[in-house]
Formats: sequence, C-alpha cells, structure tokens
Amino acid sequence: MSPSQTLQQTQAWIKHALTHPLQANQAAIATTINPSARLNSNQCLAIYQRSYYLRLLKCMQEQFPALSHALGEDLFRDFACEYLQTYPSQSYTLYDLGNRFPQYLKETRPDFSAKESEQEDWINFMIDLACFELSLFLMFDAPGHEGKPLPTMETPDERLVLQPCFHIAEYLFPVAEYYHDVKRQAEPVMPQKETSRVAIVRKNFLTHTSLLTLPHYTFLKALQQGESIAVALAHVAHTCSIPLDDVTQSWKEPNGIRQRWIQAAFFIEL
Amino acid sequence: MKDTNLGLGLGLRSTHFNHILEHWPQIDWFEAISENFMDSGGWPKHVIRQIAERYPVVLHGVSMSIGSTDPLNFSYLRKLKALAQEVNPVWVSDHLCWTGVQTMNSHDLLPMPLTEETLQHVIARIHQVQDFLERPLVLENPSSYITFKHSTISEPEFFRQLCNETQCQLLLDVNNVYVSCFNADIDPVQYIKDYPCEHVIQMHLAGHQHCGTHIIDTHDRAILPYVWELFRLAWQRTGAVSTLLEWDGDIPSFDECHQEILSAKPYMQGEFDSSKLQLPQLLQQETLSTPVDFMVPNIMENAVLEEP
Repeated sequence: MSPSQTLQQTQAWIKHALTHPLQANQAAIATTINPSARLNSNQCLAIYQRSYYLRLLKCMQEQFPALSHALGEDLFRDFACEYLQTYPSQSYTLYDLGNRFPQYLKETRPDFSAKESEQEDWINFMIDLACFELSLFLMFDAPGHEGKPLPTMETPDERLVLQPCFHIAEYLFPVAEYYHDVKRQAEPVMPQKETSRVAIVRKNFLTHTSLLTLPHYTFLKALQQGESIAVALAHVAHTCSIPLDDVTQSWKEPNGIRQRWIQAAFFIEL
Repeated sequence: MKDTNLGLGLGLRSTHFNHILEHWPQIDWFEAISENFMDSGGWPKHVIRQIAERYPVVLHGVSMSIGSTDPLNFSYLRKLKALAQEVNPVWVSDHLCWTGVQTMNSHDLLPMPLTEETLQHVIARIHQVQDFLERPLVLENPSSYITFKHSTISEPEFFRQLCNETQCQLLLDVNNVYVSCFNADIDPVQYIKDYPCEHVIQMHLAGHQHCGTHIIDTHDRAILPYVWELFRLAWQRTGAVSTLLEWDGDIPSFDECHQEILSAKPYMQGEFDSSKLQLPQLLQQETLSTPVDFMVPNIMENAVLEEP
C-alpha cells in the first residue's frame, strides 16, 4: 500500500485483512495505518480483526443455540467460522447471516459422497437441527396473520387455506423435542434416530411447533401444493392406505384434526 | 435549546419490548435500529408500530455504508424509506463509515481514510441518499481503533465540509469522541471545540471498556464519569440537543437504563471542568467492540412445543 492508494484500494485491502488476518502483509499495515502512543499499527488493526469473527460468531450462536449445545461451543465455533470464511455475509441484515449454514453443513460433511444409508447419524442430526433452527428463525419474523380474523368451526372447508406463516418439515431425528429440551436446560444428549414431522405456525407472535403423524404431514403437504381439502383427504387415504371414511371422520369429528388446527391458527379464511 | 430537542431517550432494544408494551413508561423518546424493523413481518414490526403511535421515534441505521466504494444498495434504501413512511421518524441517521466492500458485509462500522477523495465520494453519496429518501440524512461519528497515514483532513473538519456541501445533519456520539480520541492520541476537548456543533441535532452516550493501551466501544456498561464531563461540554456547544443512551450488551432492566440516561440532567448545567477528564487507571481484558448480537432476536424465548 502506498500513500496514493485510492479509497477503493484501501477498502479492498482492509476487507482482506479482516477476513484473512493471517495473510495480512505486515509491511503494508505499517505503511497504511498510524501507530498510537501505546500500540503499533499491527496491534491497532488487530482490534478489528479479532472482533470481525467474534461478533459474527456470537450472532450465529444466538441463531443456532440448540446446535451450539449439541456440538459444544468450541466445535460449533469452528464450523461457524469456516462457514463465514466460505460464505461471508453479503446482506445488510444479520437476519440473513445463517441462511446458508444448513446447506454449508450438507456440502462439507466428510461423508458427503457416501450412500445415504452409510452416512453418519451424528452428522445427519446436526444438519437436521440446523434446518429446524433456521426454519424457526425465519418463521419468527415472516409475514403472518396476526391482527386479522381467524376462521371458525362454521367456516366451510372450501374457504380454509393455510396461513402465510406456516411451515412443515420432515426430519430423521426428533429435533423439535431436542430443541425444547435445550430450551428448558434439560441438557439433552443426541436422540435415537427416529423420523419426525413437524408443522411450525406463528400465532400471536409465538412460533408453535406441532408434531405430526405421517397422514397429517401428507395432508398438509398436499394443501401446501395447492390441493383442496377434499383432494388432500383423498390423497391421504390413497397414500397411507387408510379408508377414506376414516380419514374424513378423523378430520371432521368433534375435537378432531379440523377443530384443533383451526384453533391452532393453521388456517385462514379465503 | 433547539426546536427539535426530543429530551432524554433510550435505544429501543427487544429485551425491553414486553416492559414497554405493558407499562408504557414515561420516557421522552426512542431510537430504533432501522435494520431490526425494515424486513420484519412479525413481532418487531408489531412493536414498532405501537411505540411509534405513542412516542417520538428516530431511525438509526448501521448498514447504509455511506462510505463504501460499492454502489449504494437501493433495495436497502427502498426498505428504509418504506419503514420511515410507516413509523414517521423525527429523523433518520446512520454512521460515517463503510460496512463492507466487494459485496461482503463485515457488520462492523469501519473507519474511513479522511482525504479529499473520500470527502467527494461521501458528499456525492449523501446527495443520492437524501434525494432518494427525500429527507436530510443525519450522520454519526463512529468509534475507531485505527487512523490512516494518508488521511489529510481532521474528523471535525471532515464533518464540517459534509454539512456545508450537503446540508446533512449530525449525531454527535460523545462516547465515540472519547474512544476515538484516546485511541488516536487526540485531545477530545479540542475535537468537540473543532466540531461543527451547530449542525448537531442529537447526541449519543454509552459505556466503554478501557484496556489501558486502547479503549473498546462496548455499549455494555454505565457511562463513565469522564464521558459525562465531556458531555457537559458538548451540551453547551451544541445548544442542548436530543440525547440518547445506547446499551447493547449485558442490557439491564428498562428502568435501570432509563435511570442511567436521566443521570444526564446534572451535566446539562455547570461549568465544564477539563480536570475531570483524567482517566482512572483501568486495565481490563478486551471484549467485543460494538456488539451486534443484540440485533438477533431470541427465537427460543418465543418458541412453543405443542403437546400431541
């Protein structure tokens, strides 16, 4: 760096010094940055270099507290630091910081090229957990339906549609239970592999996670894909080999699925 | 006292949302971090709407990156403008800094080399932003840990020229003055005397961490006595402007924060005493500068598991 460096050159140089602190050229630091009465140029710049990763790692831990618990703080920070090196933030908002983290964990898993059946369970669990936490994070502040009327039991099926702040997912592990065990500081250990399905819906600004059976999940998936309730019920009957009458009964009966999910704000009225 | 003096306010923090909505405390005004609300479709947006109905609010941004050599982010500016139209802030502020370049965002408030090139660059961008937002921009002096060998303009003079050329207004962060001046071996009293105080419409106060060799701007503790004394000088020279406490790490209760900013009152009068700027011998291990994790919402707190 020289005294005639342009603003653009200076900023590109500092950016590199922040993201790759070990590669920062000591001579360039001394010719660009003033020492203070107590610190040399390198020590002054190091304040920014230290805080760059620490600041963002704290944000990652805020966003993925259960994953941080599962991995342990040190290992979580190692993964998150490598993630930030691979995918530095490109957004003005910290809300986007962790958006690619689950995908990054998938891409970089050491058994990436192994058959699915041969992939390691603990890695699958970490990825599941990251996906679940990202979903919760996104649902927290997504456009929702608060402040508007909800349907009632009298609303006909034809007028029921899923509310905007609604998400369903399927996992290899019971991640929702694990997450909430972390929340209540129960110090959970990694659970046994067991497929879990969840619906996440925001009601009164709280993100509610409901555990789903396979027929429930199949039904909601069909609704998400734009099917009507009648078609989705028939799809469940066919896919899960349950008589359509039983499926319909389960949907409509007093205190049945329909009533519970209307009360849980799964639906809004068209 | 200037017409726009809002009084003594607090930075709006999510940890205080429930307290505010429940008690509607008697406080003069709030400053909201723009980025926490501009994309919100949930709880934060619901809160800011209600608060803006009851209190004067200003928007304070951390991501405009007015000094970056990357193009201005008009998607960001559109969202900022929409938020401003919705909450009707008394003004909109950000920092004289850059946050990233070559599409990367450091989420830090990085210092600028203060040169003629930088001055012209920032002037042009302030004009663009003000034209787009259709309001004056208010710019804050950042805390900094480095200065550049090729800088040719002092920071107070830089701000003066920005104001003269763009009619932007200023947010004088008194704590940042102290931090930056200590780190750069500059006299903070002279800084305030040189600063274009006639353009200041708001001041910030915050706590910092003194590490002996340098000071870190941590916003995680009470305001230190020597910063209060510097505030007394700034209060006199700005002619009394809206003053606000920023507390971003280890945030205490709303009432404690409120009490802290009310402590400004004795410093709004009396003679400035430069001998009170003497530093006590404080040597503390460095912690994080300008924390940002307070901007990440606590999702776990708002998550509920429904029993099957």
